[in-house]
Amino acid sequence: MSTEADQIQIIAYCCQHCAYAAADLAGGLRMQYSPSVKIVELPCSGRMDVIALLEALEQGADGILVAG
Amino acid sequence: MIIGEQKPLDEIQGLLEDAEKVLVVGCGTCVTVCFAGGSREAQILSSSLRMSSKLNGHPQDVSDVTVQRQCEWEYLDEIEKEVAEADIILSLACGIGVQAMAKHFPEKWVVPGLNTTFLGIPVEQGIWEERCAACGDCVLGLTGGICPIARCSKSLLNGPCGGSEDGHCEIDPDIPCAWQLIYDRLTAMGREDNLLELQPPKNWQVSRDGGPRKIIREDLRLISDELES
Repeated sequence: MSTEADQIQIIAYCCQHCAYAAADLAGGLRMQYSPSVKIVELPCSGRMDVIALLEALEQGADGILVAG
Repeated sequence: MIIGEQKPLDEIQGLLEDAEKVLVVGCGTCVTVCFAGGSREAQILSSSLRMSSKLNGHPQDVSDVTVQRQCEWEYLDEIEKEVAEADIILSLACGIGVQAMAKHFPEKWVVPGLNTTFLGIPVEQGIWEERCAACGDCVLGLTGGICPIARCSKSLLNGPCGGSEDGHCEIDPDIPCAWQLIYDRLTAMGREDNLLELQPPKNWQVSRDGGPRKIIREDLRLISDELES
């Protein structure tokens, strides 16, 4: 059953070499995290661009996480 | 290059108040390289305006387009269709581009998104400084390539003045004294004798004091005045 917290949309932009690999490992270990978090893989967190960030917010994201 | 600076979002919102459909027009030349009004800035500003207008309860339809140069008619023809669909045009060009848009699309209300600040140079990443005042009578040949008109706070031709202190200007210790720079440069080049030659009052008529300026190059014109008449 979804809770109010689950309705929140957090877009996580993750570097493929560290944060994304860590999320992958967490999945492999069957660790749980909120379904609110949607991961977008980036070749490098330096690829993160303010235009992509604004687009995510415009499309309804409640928060952005850049991890790398 | 021409250096511009984006106006505060509040001011831009005020200029666009009554419009429903806004077209943000970026310029691909000077204001792109000074990160004020290029394609990126047009996209970012459009997104910000869409979100802020939504939050204010009056959502506006904001789109953006960027042309190579807003100060030439040929490039403006390319965006005729986008302009026709908009209620208002927010130009992110310098003042020249804004005026070109208003002239080229006389039926549209065109407003500026930037303050055009000066003719200058990026001295390092993120820092721009004024270098030319477009005075119409260049004296750089006398001053070792350092402009006393743009860089001396008083535009002195025979400086420095008494306000020069330890190589800095009295108006702000962060501003180097242009005449100190000129002296150092001429000394380094072995041309300090240039400073012994007193400069007569400058002809400001070729600057703004002579009113709006115009250059006509008959050798470049496609139709001369004689043929036109």
